[in-house]
Amino acid sequence: MLRKKGLKTHDKHIKKLAAIVGPKEILFHKEELISYESDGFTIHSHMPKAVVFPTNTEEVAEVVKYCSDNDLPFLARGAGTGLSGGAIPLNGEVIISLVKMKRLLSVDLENRRAVVEPGYVNLKLTNSISDKGYYYAPDPSSQYCCTIGGNVAENAGGAHCLKYGVTTNHILGLEVVTPTGKIMEIGHDGIPDAPGYDLLGILTGSEGTLGIVTKITVRILKNPEEKQTVLAYFDDVADGSQAVSDIVSAGIVPAALEMMDKIAIEGVESAAFPVGHPKDIEALLLIEVDGISAGINEQINEILDVCKKRNVRSVKVAQDDEERAKWWANRKTGFGAMGTISPDYLVQDGVIPRSTLPEVLKRIGEISKESGLRIANIFHAGDGNLHPLILFDSRIPGQTDKALEAGSACLQACADAGGSITGEHGVGIEKREEMRFVFSDKEIEAQTDIREVFNPHYLLNAGKLFPSPGRCAEVKKELKAAE
Amino acid sequence: MSMKEKDVVQEPPCTSESLSNYLWKDKPDEDKWADCVHCGMCLEACPTYELTGQEQHSPRGRVHLIKSVADGKLEVNEQFMDPVFACLDCKACTTACPADVDVGGLIEEARGQIRQAMPLTGWRGAVSKFFLHRLFPHPGRLQSAGNLLKLYQKSGIQTAVRKTGLLKMMPEHLATMETVMLEVKQSVRKKYHKEEVVKAKGETKNEVAFLTGCVMDVMFSDINDSTVNVLTRNGNDVAIPKKQTCCGALHVHAGDRDMGRKLAKQNIEAFEDADTVVANAAGCGCMLTEYPELFREEEIEWRERAEKFADKVVDVSKYLHDSGYEKPKAEINTKLTYHDACHLAHGQGVRQEPRDILLDIPGVEMVQMPNADRCCGSAGIYNITNPEMADGVLESKMENVPEEVEMISMGNPGCMLQMAMGVEKYGRNEKVVHTIQLLDWAYQKEDKQRGQT
Ligand SMILES: Cc1cc2nc3c(=O)[nH]c(=O)nc-3n(C[C@H](O)[C@H](O)[C@H](O)COP(=O)(O)OP(=O)(O)OC[C@H]3O[C@@H](n4cnc5c(N)ncnc54)[C@H](O)[C@@H]3O)c2cc1C
Ligand code: SF4
Ligand code: SF4
Repeated sequence: MLRKKGLKTHDKHIKKLAAIVGPKEILFHKEELISYESDGFTIHSHMPKAVVFPTNTEEVAEVVKYCSDNDLPFLARGAGTGLSGGAIPLNGEVIISLVKMKRLLSVDLENRRAVVEPGYVNLKLTNSISDKGYYYAPDPSSQYCCTIGGNVAENAGGAHCLKYGVTTNHILGLEVVTPTGKIMEIGHDGIPDAPGYDLLGILTGSEGTLGIVTKITVRILKNPEEKQTVLAYFDDVADGSQAVSDIVSAGIVPAALEMMDKIAIEGVESAAFPVGHPKDIEALLLIEVDGISAGINEQINEILDVCKKRNVRSVKVAQDDEERAKWWANRKTGFGAMGTISPDYLVQDGVIPRSTLPEVLKRIGEISKESGLRIANIFHAGDGNLHPLILFDSRIPGQTDKALEAGSACLQACADAGGSITGEHGVGIEKREEMRFVFSDKEIEAQTDIREVFNPHYLLNAGKLFPSPGRCAEVKKELKAAE
Repeated sequence: MSMKEKDVVQEPPCTSESLSNYLWKDKPDEDKWADCVHCGMCLEACPTYELTGQEQHSPRGRVHLIKSVADGKLEVNEQFMDPVFACLDCKACTTACPADVDVGGLIEEARGQIRQAMPLTGWRGAVSKFFLHRLFPHPGRLQSAGNLLKLYQKSGIQTAVRKTGLLKMMPEHLATMETVMLEVKQSVRKKYHKEEVVKAKGETKNEVAFLTGCVMDVMFSDINDSTVNVLTRNGNDVAIPKKQTCCGALHVHAGDRDMGRKLAKQNIEAFEDADTVVANAAGCGCMLTEYPELFREEEIEWRERAEKFADKVVDVSKYLHDSGYEKPKAEINTKLTYHDACHLAHGQGVRQEPRDILLDIPGVEMVQMPNADRCCGSAGIYNITNPEMADGVLESKMENVPEEVEMISMGNPGCMLQMAMGVEKYGRNEKVVHTIQLLDWAYQKEDKQRGQT
C-alpha cells in the first residue's frame, strides 16, 4: 500500500524534493530504500538518500536542478536490471526513478518510428505494435522488464542484434535533461547524418553519466516474412564454436546465433522453462534466420550441412511458433536460471573476434579450474559476445573476491584475444578497472574530458564507467566490504 | 496494510546470538532467498509493482527486505510490515521467476514473524479473531451466520438497506460488496449430512473425497452442489468427510501459522482414507498443496503426512479433465471469457483444463481475455484489508474484460466475488460463473430436453 502517513522528516532536501514531485512520489525511510541499494549487480550495494518518481520531463529537470544547485549527488534508474552496477547509489545519491514515465507517446507506422517515455518496458513496444506487423528489434534477454531508457544508457544488445544491430542503431532522437537541469532535444526526427557532432552517438551507451533521457524516438521494423529456428546439440565445444564460424563464413547472416555450454544447460533445464535438452551434451547452438520467404529454406539446409560436418549429435528445426517460443524462453531466462544451481552468480560480458572462440572458451575453462569456481557460458556466439557466468556463494568467506578475480581474468582473456571488455552490459562499477585492459591513460582522459563538458560538477552518477586514480584505494576497500 | 500505530504493540524481543532480527519461531527459510539472483525478471508480473512502480512493492524488493531482516539490517517493524502485507499472494512472480524462487512462501513466513512480533490489538484484533478463530473453522457457526444472512436477504431488510440510501453511508468497498452479496442457500454438507458417500450415478469408476470449503459451502453452496452433480454424473463416488474444516489459507495469509497448522492437521486426518482430494476453490486447493511448508520448522513429525496429503489434492477441473468426463449434448449458446484465478494458474499450474471443459460445451464461444492470469485483487480478504490497492488491481482487470461477452468464467469463489464487484462498480453486466457450474447447467439442460422428448 502506498504510504498513507504524512511526510515526517526534518531533512530540508527531502521536503524540497517532495514539493517538486509530490509527497507520495518520494521514498526516504530505510525500509523503503533498501530495495534500491543495488541493481542486477549485487556485489556492491549502497543506500540512496532518497528515491523520487517524477512523472514528466519538467519534474525531472526541476529535481536535477535542485540537486545540482545543492551539491546533492544523483542518478537515474530504470528497472534496475543492469548487470554492471550502473544504478547503484555509490555516493548516497538521490535516485531519480523513471518507471512512472512509462507511456507510449506515439506510433508512426508510415515513417516507421515510435516515441516512448524512458520508463516504457522494452517488450511492451513490440507487443503493442505486433498486431500491425511491426516490432522493435533490440531484444535484450531482460526485455520483459528492462526499460528503453535503461537500454539507451547501456546501449543494450540482444540475441537478434547480430543481424539488426544494437540499441544505438535504432535510436532516432532523444530528449535529455542535462546534469545541470536543462532540457535538450537531440536528433532531428531521424534525419540521417545531421551536421555537427553526433550527440546521439555519445549519449547512447554513456551509462547515465551525461544526462537523463526523458523521451526517446526509436526506429521500428516490419516483421520479417518468415522465420526459421534451428537447435543443434554438440558433444564437443570446439565443434560447436567451429560451426559458428563456418555459418558466418558461408555468407549467412543469421538473425540470432546463440550458444550454451553444459553447465548453462544444467541451469536452464532445472529452472522454470526447461526444453528437455539432453544433459550430457557439451554445447548447444540456437540459430535463427529470417527475412523474405524466398531463400530461407536454402539457408536452413546450409546450416544443417555445416552442423553435420562439425559432428553435431542431433539437430532439429522448430516445427511451429510454439516450439520456437519455448526454445527462446529457455534461452532468455538463462541468467536467472543460474539461481537454481548456485546462490550467486557474476556475469561477465566480453567480446572477442569470432575465430578465437575455441581458444578463449578453453582459457575460461582453465580459469574455472584455477579459481575452483564453476563457470557457465551462455552467449551471443554470432557476434563473439561472451557471457561467462561465474557461480559462487557469497556466504562463504572469500568466494566473492575469488569470483571477481575470475571475472577479471576472463576479461583479460578477451582483451588478450584482441577483443574488448564489454559487449552490452556496460562498465558501471564492475569493470571500471578493467577499462585499463583496453584503453591507455590518455584515451581514458579524452573520454573523461567529454564527461566534464556535460557533467561539470560530477554529481550525476559519479564513480562509474572510468577508473580514476584516486579511486583505486576505494575500490579495494569496497571489495573488502563486499566480502 | 494501513495499520494505525496504536493498533500495534511491540513485544519485547527475545535474545538471539545471530545477526538475524527474526526472533520468533518458524523463521523465513534462508534457502528460499538464496535462490534469488536479483535479476528483476519478476517485476512486470507483479500487480503491486505495476501500480506503485516501487521496488519494495515488487517480488524482488520483498525478497530483499525479508533477507535484510535476517542479515540484521532491518527490524521487524511497521515499515517492514507495509510491503509484506501489501503483497496479494497472487504468485504471479513464482511463474515469472526463472530461478523458481518461492516468493509467496517467504512472504507468508515473514508475516508469521510480524504477527508474533506485533499481535493485532484493538478492533482489528477483535475482528480478525472473530473471523479467523471463531467463525471460519466452525462449519456450524458459519451456517448460522449464513442463516442470518439469509434472514437479512429474505426479511426485506436488504431491500430496505438498498433503498434507504444506507448503502451510501458505508465505505465504498463495503457498499459494492453488499450489492453483490450472494443469495445463501443450503450448504452441501448439510444437504448430504446423512450420507457418508454420495454415490455415483450409474457405475462407479472412481472414488474421490471432496473439500467443501468453509465459506464456500455456505455462501456458494450452488457451486458445491454443481460439483457433486458433475462428479457423480461422471462415475465418481463422492465422500464428504465430516471432520474436514477450513483450509487455513486466510489464517496463513494473515500470518497466523499456528492456527494454519491446527487446521491443516485436522484436514490431513479427515482425508487420511482418501486417495484423491478434489477441491473446487482454487485458493483452498492451493493451500492444501502447501501444507508441507507449515511443518518445515515446527511439528516436523507432520511433514511427511502433509506431503502425502498434498500429493492427493487436485482441482476439480483438472481431475475431470484427466479422469474423463461426458461431453454435454445440450447447447448453452453464450459468448464468454475465462479468468485464470491466481491460485489455479500460478499456484497449481492449471490453465488449459478449464478452458477445454468450457469449449466442450456445445454453443460456447470463448473470447480471449488479455492478461487473463493477472490477479483481480481479491486475494482472500485483501480487498477488505487493502481496499486502495485492491481497487487499482480490479480496475486494470476490468479493463481487460472483453466488451462483447455475456459471462466471465473462473475457478475460484474469491475471484467471483471480486469480479462481481467489478461488474457492478464499472457498470458492466456480465454474469460471473464457476466453470463447473456451467458444465452442470449444460448437463441439466440436456436432462430436461431428454425428459421432454
Ligand atoms: C537476466 C538479465 C538478462 C540480461 N540480458 C541482457 C542482454 O541480453 N543484453 C543487454 O544488453 N543487457 C542485458 N541485461 C542487462 C540490462 O537488462 C540492460 O543493461 C538494460 O538496458 C538495463 O535497463 P534498466 O531499465 O534495467 O536500467 P537500470 O539498470 O535501471 O540502469 C542502467 C543504467 O542506465 C542508467 N539509466 C537508466 N535509465 C536512464 C535514463 N532514462 N536516462 C539516463 N540513464 C539512465 C542508470 O543510471 C544506470 O547507469 C540483462 C540483465 C538481466 C538481469
Ligand atoms: S525473485 Fe526470481 S525473478 Fe525476481 S529477482 Fe529474484 S531471481 Fe529474479
Ligand atoms: S505474490 Fe503477487 S503481489 Fe506478491 S510479490 Fe508476487 S506478484 Fe507481487
